Amino acid sequence: MTDWQALQQKSFYEATARERANGIVDAASFTELAGPRDRMSSPHLPALGEAIEFDDGVVTGVGRVGKHPVFVISQEGRFIGGAVGEVHGAKMVGIFQLAQQAYAQLAAKGADSLAERLPAVVISFETGGVRLHEANAGLLAHAEVMDQIQNARGKFPVIALIGSKIGCFGGMGFVAAATDLIIMSELGRLGLTGPEVIEQEMGREEFNASDKALVYRTTGGKHKYIMRDCNQLVEDSIGAFRTALASALQQPYAEIARCRRIGSEALVDEQLALAELSCEIQPQDARDVWAYFGNADAAAIPEQTTADFLRTVRRRP
Amino acid sequence: MITEESVSWDSLLQDTRARLAAAAPYVQAGKQVAAADAVKLLEAVLRPGDKVNLEGDNQKQADFLAGCLCRVDPAQVHDLHMVQSVLSLDRHLDLFDKGIAKKLDFSFSGPQAGRLAEYVRAGKLEIGAIHTYLELYGRYFIDLTPRVALVAAYSADRNGNLYTGANTEDTPVIVEATKFKQGIVIVQVNEIVDQVPRVDIPADWVDFIIQSPQPFYIEPLFTRDPALITDAQILRAMMVIKGIYAEYGLQRLNHGIGFDTAAIELLLPTYGEELGLKGKICSYFALNPHPTLIPAIESGWVRSVCCFGGEVGMEEYVKARPDVFFIGPDGTMRSNRCLAQTAGHYALDIFIGGTLQIDRYGNSSTATATRIAGFGGAPNMGCDARGRRHATSGWLRCGEEYGLQQEMTGGLPRGKRLVVQLQETFREKMTPGFVEELDAVQLAKNAGLALPPVMIYSDDLTHIVTEEGIAYLHKCADMQERMAAIRAVAGYTDIGLQEDPQETAALRKRGIFKTAEDLGIDPARANRSLLAAKNMRELVHWSKGLYTPPARFHNW
Amino acid sequence: MALQELHYTFRATEPQPFPLGWSHSGVVGSGDMEVMFERCMLDGEIRFKVVTPVRGFERVWEQVLGRFVNETNLADVSVEINDNNATPVVVLMRLRQALKEARKEAEG
Repeated sequence: MTDWQALQQKSFYEATARERANGIVDAASFTELAGPRDRMSSPHLPALGEAIEFDDGVVTGVGRVGKHPVFVISQEGRFIGGAVGEVHGAKMVGIFQLAQQAYAQLAAKGADSLAERLPAVVISFETGGVRLHEANAGLLAHAEVMDQIQNARGKFPVIALIGSKIGCFGGMGFVAAATDLIIMSELGRLGLTGPEVIEQEMGREEFNASDKALVYRTTGGKHKYIMRDCNQLVEDSIGAFRTALASALQQPYAEIARCRRIGSEALVDEQLALAELSCEIQPQDARDVWAYFGNADAAAIPEQTTADFLRTVRRRP
Repeated sequence: MITEESVSWDSLLQDTRARLAAAAPYVQAGKQVAAADAVKLLEAVLRPGDKVNLEGDNQKQADFLAGCLCRVDPAQVHDLHMVQSVLSLDRHLDLFDKGIAKKLDFSFSGPQAGRLAEYVRAGKLEIGAIHTYLELYGRYFIDLTPRVALVAAYSADRNGNLYTGANTEDTPVIVEATKFKQGIVIVQVNEIVDQVPRVDIPADWVDFIIQSPQPFYIEPLFTRDPALITDAQILRAMMVIKGIYAEYGLQRLNHGIGFDTAAIELLLPTYGEELGLKGKICSYFALNPHPTLIPAIESGWVRSVCCFGGEVGMEEYVKARPDVFFIGPDGTMRSNRCLAQTAGHYALDIFIGGTLQIDRYGNSSTATATRIAGFGGAPNMGCDARGRRHATSGWLRCGEEYGLQQEMTGGLPRGKRLVVQLQETFREKMTPGFVEELDAVQLAKNAGLALPPVMIYSDDLTHIVTEEGIAYLHKCADMQERMAAIRAVAGYTDIGLQEDPQETAALRKRGIFKTAEDLGIDPARANRSLLAAKNMRELVHWSKGLYTPPARFHNW
Repeated sequence: MALQELHYTFRATEPQPFPLGWSHSGVVGSGDMEVMFERCMLDGEIRFKVVTPVRGFERVWEQVLGRFVNETNLADVSVEINDNNATPVVVLMRLRQALKEARKEAEG
């Protein structure tokens, strides 16, 4: 159906959810579940006169990376900004449940084969969070996905890929933060409150959402990498994301789980220390923080290629 | 009988001297006036009913002086007659709200189109006429000569020599018309320096200089993010390159603003290269420094670009390509809109651009019933220059094909400018691009205009390109045939649905209507992978880091 | 106002089968659509179901879909379109692309 080789070269940023789902696992290994032919579209949008999509804006299924079954959730930003409604959320939860089942089956076969074939859930985020048209169901879905991530802890990895046009904002920003490992490209954006909402609430003086350079300095992949809010930064191609995913899955589970940025007292202390640091250095711009962490030519960072950036960057200790 | 004593031949000069004397208390060293005194200065030199040019160009805005003019006492200064090419700031219309100004002669008002129409309806503002740029500049020297001009420059020296640099735009023509008819010239400058990089306007044409608290406002009007180009635009661009540029061997062009023309520019190094057209088309442009032209320039397609204005972020790139752009001895560009428009009017073989509505005869307009948008320079490019007397092959070929040539000139050779409209049959929200009657007609009635604001008249239009194909309208023998060709490209609009398939087939046979397939173009190839740059960052990369996009386009 | 469902049926002059059992393509972005083709016995007919938020373009849909059928002669296939303000150009382009993809896939 899709030329997998060609997908590897394709920009992750420009790719559709289905292209990403197919391209981030091994060639021809992806099977879509609850796909368009199952017509699981939103029951709420038609009454509101809003366009529907057969898959409700999320591609779900299972593929392989090496010997690992990889359960894939890939959100489509072109459809209502990738916003999460009832069906969309239920499909996400369903994928986690399948991963749990696979884990249970493999665990029953013994520890050796489990490590070798440990399942993983991979979420390619492209969303602004809750779909306002079905807000209660959407909020509930967020809670359920969080719950699923907690259920997966100690068992199998949950990995976030962020590098699509809409970025990952709103409630889904929390969800992404709760995963074990976050892989971003420099075009990826991660945050809680979206730039437009910040401007609306705090004023243009505080945050000018039309200043795209500012938005990227504050939420973009390079900043998140310096701050260690994301673990890995890769080039903007589906192949680069797949390679990073594959090498992560070669690590023992404990190594992957060590990448978590939240979820222990020590990590809470670390985050609180960061908050204190920001009061102390009073940064006016992300560049001030980059400079503080030892990047002398902070202004040049946005213009660097990903490779140059990775070679020279100084991250938060 | 008139006695010698009763005749005064220098009343304008006397009046100007009286006004300058009234302004004297506000003048500091040389010609400098403090920003804080600007309003008082304006009250001293302005008289009710004056024709005033408040420099509002396509890009550069004398925004500080506009704000000051809004703060003058309307009891003292009122009923001004504004003559300015572009109305783009809120302040430009605030003047009419406050009764400071009454009448307006202008050229373009896109950003204020809705409010302008509202003010006309409410009787707050009287429109003299909507002009093209050259037409308005012409009238500055005939019957719309400014008594006072309020203009903007990057810098001035203490004597008043001005540097207007990459965004020289309208300043020379405004200052010359004003000063040589004894008028008063007031300039806002970003900075006062010991020596300007070069003298764009000599000091003795300038009366007052004011350092404005903020640099003048400038709009990045010609920046189009390649990330937003659609497959349909790429298909139209492929048809243009193959069915028009290559067909006529067009070397001298103007591209109207928009994503369609941006797509053409970004296809030159890919699709154009593949067709072996480098050096055969697109060597000379009258064009603003479009960032989307960078890949074509860098691949050696473009020999020369004459700019109407500058473009924010393109300064360093332009400076570093003096073989291509018009660069002064100081190393920076100068863009004189009056000269560039003249160049565009006479020396181009083709104008191509988009529009909002085309009627069934082929007249087009960007006005709607509730928006007075004006023209800018498009009609100067988008018309046959009737005074043209030099021949180029594409121009001659179009003339040879012209269906009325024999009838109008008795068979003498004469060329014809290609005037091409790129049109989507439907825009967003299914707004049709082809209509029975232009909204401009209703607008003229609503606003009491003598002429409906038509951007390009049917008799100048030679080609329409839609996703259905290309109509070669100039080949038509009469209006009936022309209307049939328009129906053929009008798709599923009400106009297009009146198409007679047999009539269209006949036009196709005669090469008056060609589809993508007729042109040997596979529509399935029309996708973003053909673009030489797919986003802003790739444009920066093509420019070797010399192009620095404004923050709102810096999406990485 | 609720979403609108439109139904159209055509009969091709020289019926051609759809090359695959089923095929899906496209994304319901703004100004775009998705389409699902499913082969089924329809006595030589082709049936379209269009779900769209836009009203007042029933005749345009009929013309555009009719043109696609004329071009392709597809028969015995059910076609479902979820539309979000796609213009006729985009509709035709997406239908053609979808068929082209399906043919490519059928050829392996």
